[in-house]
Amino acid sequence: MRWVVLILAAAGIAVAGWMVWDRMRGLTATPIADFSAPFVFGRFAVPPDNPLTQEAFTLGRHLFYDPILSGNNEVSCATCHVQELAFTDGLAKSPTLSGGELDFSSMSLANLLWGQERFFWNGRATSLEEQALMPIQHPDEMGQDIDALMEELQASGSYRKMFRQAYGAVTPENTAKALATFMRLLISSNSKYDQYLRGEVRLTAQEEHGRKLFMAHPDTKVSLRGGNCIDCHSQFLTSGFRDALDGFSNNGLDPDETLPDGLMAVTGNPVHKGFFKVPTLRNIAVTAPYMHDGRFDTLEDVMDHYNDGIVVSDTLSPLILEADNAPEAGQETVGLRMTPDEIQAIIAFLHTLTDEAFLTNPQFSNPFEGGS
Amino acid sequence: MKFSHTTRSVLIGAGLILAGLSPALSQDREESQGMVLLRGLPTLDTSHSIAIIELDPESDRFGEILSEVEQPEMEHPLHHLYYSPNGRLYATGLDPSCSLAEVGLARDAGGAPVISGFTCLDTQGQMVGEDIMWANSNGQEYMFVTFMGGTGGDDGGSVGVFDPQTNEVVKVIEARKSQVGEGAPYIMYPHGISAFEDRMVVTSTVHPDLATGVGNMLTIIDLNALEPIENILVEKEKPLDFPSSPVEVLFARPGIHPDIEPAILANTMFGFETWKVPYDASSKSFGEAEVIYSGVANETAVPLEFYGTEDELFISHALPGVVKRYELAALPELVPSGPDIVADPGAHHMIFFTSASGRDLIAVQNNLLNLGNGAEDDPTDVDFIADLASHTISVHDLETGERLATIDFKERYNKGVDNLEGLFGSGFVHHH
Repeated sequence: MRWVVLILAAAGIAVAGWMVWDRMRGLTATPIADFSAPFVFGRFAVPPDNPLTQEAFTLGRHLFYDPILSGNNEVSCATCHVQELAFTDGLAKSPTLSGGELDFSSMSLANLLWGQERFFWNGRATSLEEQALMPIQHPDEMGQDIDALMEELQASGSYRKMFRQAYGAVTPENTAKALATFMRLLISSNSKYDQYLRGEVRLTAQEEHGRKLFMAHPDTKVSLRGGNCIDCHSQFLTSGFRDALDGFSNNGLDPDETLPDGLMAVTGNPVHKGFFKVPTLRNIAVTAPYMHDGRFDTLEDVMDHYNDGIVVSDTLSPLILEADNAPEAGQETVGLRMTPDEIQAIIAFLHTLTDEAFLTNPQFSNPFEGGS
Repeated sequence: MKFSHTTRSVLIGAGLILAGLSPALSQDREESQGMVLLRGLPTLDTSHSIAIIELDPESDRFGEILSEVEQPEMEHPLHHLYYSPNGRLYATGLDPSCSLAEVGLARDAGGAPVISGFTCLDTQGQMVGEDIMWANSNGQEYMFVTFMGGTGGDDGGSVGVFDPQTNEVVKVIEARKSQVGEGAPYIMYPHGISAFEDRMVVTSTVHPDLATGVGNMLTIIDLNALEPIENILVEKEKPLDFPSSPVEVLFARPGIHPDIEPAILANTMFGFETWKVPYDASSKSFGEAEVIYSGVANETAVPLEFYGTEDELFISHALPGVVKRYELAALPELVPSGPDIVADPGAHHMIFFTSASGRDLIAVQNNLLNLGNGAEDDPTDVDFIADLASHTISVHDLETGERLATIDFKERYNKGVDNLEGLFGSGFVHHH
C-alpha cells in the first residue's frame, strides 16, 4: 500500500510539474509542416507578426466555427461561410440578427493568402486581421462586444491553452490573427483546371473552347472572339490583386441614378463609385447567387448580363464597354454578343474551377463535429 | 511566338500582382529573378544544377542563388529552359539519361518561389535535346522538341512531337540523309526551330560530339503531315573551313509585327552569317536564300540567338561578345535600332526585365557551350570554344547598352552558366 501511495504521489508531482512547465515554456507554435503552394498563383506575403503556424490554424479553425463569437452565442463565422458552398451561404444577402438582410452577399473564402490588401466587396478592410473582427462586432452580423468575448474565451480552459500555444494571451489582436491564419490557409488548388495546368487531365472540347473565350478580349479586326473575362478576372484562381485598389471595377449593373457607392464609400473618390471587388472565380459554380448583392441566381444569368445587359454609367469599366463580338449589329444594347454555344462553353469552363477536395477537406471542417 | 496570350495570363498574370509593391517588399520582386542552368566544372568539383537567381543590380541580393536543385548523378547538364503556353517549365538536356525534363516550381511558406525538382521524360531514345516550341498541327497543339543527336548515329537527329498535356511522344520525325535517297529532304543534327502557319523550319547544326559532322541546311517540315518536305542550303563564306552550321532560326511573320513580310532568318554558327529566306504564304513556296549579315565583314563570329521585344529584334554574337539590335517592324531586313550591347565572349541567351526603380534592363548569359579550359586541365575543353566560355551574366541598361553589373559564376559559384530564362518568362515576345 505504501508503494502505491508513493507511486501515485510521484505521478501527481510529475503531472503538476508538466502543467507548470507547459504554462511557463511560452509559445510552442510550429510552422505548417510541408507547406507548398502552386507557383502560378504568384507571390504572397504573410504579416511578419503573424506567421503561418499549426497552432494558430487550429485556434483559428475553432474560433471560426464557434458561435461563442456572437453576442447571442448562435452565430459563428461558418453560419454565413459554409464549406461545401466554398464558404458562402447560398443566399443573395446574408440575414441580420434581427431577421433582415445585410447589404452584401457573403463572399467566398478561398486562396485569401493571395490578394491580401483589400477585403469585403467594398474594400473596407486592409488586412485579414482587420477584417476578422469587423463582422464579430457588427451589430447586424454577430453583435458581439469584444471585451465580453475575451471574458468568455478566457473562461474556457481549452481556448486558454490554444491561445497560449499559438500566441500567448487571450486578446482581441490574437483572436484576429488566429482567424486570419485559418482563412489564409483555406487553399484551393485541386480543381479540374488546376489538374489541367499540371498536365494531369484534359479539358473537354467545350471546356477548352470556353477557356479560350475566357482568356480573350474580342477583336473583330482579327476575327478573335472573346468572353473578355480575363480583363478583370486575371487573378481568378486566387482571391484578387495584391496591389491596393487594383481589382475593383464597375461591371455595369446599375445606372448612375441608383449606382451604389461601393469602393467610394471607403476612398471618398467619386471615380470609385459603383466599384466592387472582382471576386475569385474558384468554385464559382457552387457560390450562387452572384454579384455583390446576389442579384443573379445562375451563371446563365451572369452571362446574359455580360452578353447584352450591361448598364452604362459614368464609372463603367472601359474594358467592358469596349468588349463586343458583333459591333456591326448596332448599339441598342451593350455587351459581348456571343452565341449561346459560346456562353455555354464559358460556363462549362467555369465549372472546371470547382475544387471538390477543397469543399470536403476535413481540415477545413467544423472541429466541434468530430473533424480532425 | 514563344508566349501565347494564355501563357501571359498564367505567368505574367501572376506577376502582375507584383506591380506597385511597397518599398519594404521591393527585395521580393520576382520580375528580376532568373532561372539558370548551371554546369558543374570538372576541375572545380561542382555539380550541375537548376537555380533561381536575382538579377536586379539594385537589389541587395544581386547575384544570389535563391533556390537550387543539383543533378550530381548526371554527367551532362540540362541545356535549355522553356515555359509552355500553360506555364509549365521544361528543360532539354545533354545527358542521355535526361534529354528532356519537366521542372517543378512551387512556393514555400514565405511565398518565395522554389524549384521543387525535375522529372526526366521518356523521349523514346531521342538524345541531346535542344529547342522546344509549341505549335499546331491540324488544329491540335503539340510540343515540338529538336534532338540534335536523334536516336544516334553519324547522321542522326530528330524532331520529337509530344502531347503537351501528358508529355508522351506522339511521333518522332526522323529522316536520315543516308536513308532518304539522293535529293530527298532530310533532318540532321536539328537545333533551332520556328514555325508559321503550316510550315516549320529546323536547322542542321552539328553532330553532338562536335567532330563527326557539321550541317549546312534548313529543313522545312509540313505541319499537316509532320514530314520533312524541303532542304534549303544556307552556306556561303566558310571562314573556319567548316560547313556553315545553322543554329537558331526565326520564322519572321506578321504575327510578330503586322508590317513583316514572312521570311526565315537563320544564324550560321560557323559561317558567321545571318540568312534570309523569303516565304510566299499563298503558294507556300520559299524564295532564294541570301546573306543579310556577314560576320566576316562586320568582325563578329558565332551568331546565335534571336530574341524580340515589342519593337526590337536582338541577335547575340558569341565573338567578340555583343548583342546587336534591329527594328522589329523592318524584318526580315536587319535595320539597326541602336548601339550594340557589349557583353562578354560567348554572348548567348538573354532576358528583358525592369529594375526596382523601373529601369529597363537586359541580362545576357555569356557562354557558348560552357566547356572548360584545357589550360586548367579541364577535360571538357574543345579548341576555340573555351574562348567562348566567360561563365558570366552581364546586366545592361536596355536603352544605352551600358553595363551595370556582372555575375561571374565561375568565380562566385565554381560553376558555369548554360542558359537563362526569366522566372515569369523572359520578357520577350518572340524567340521562335
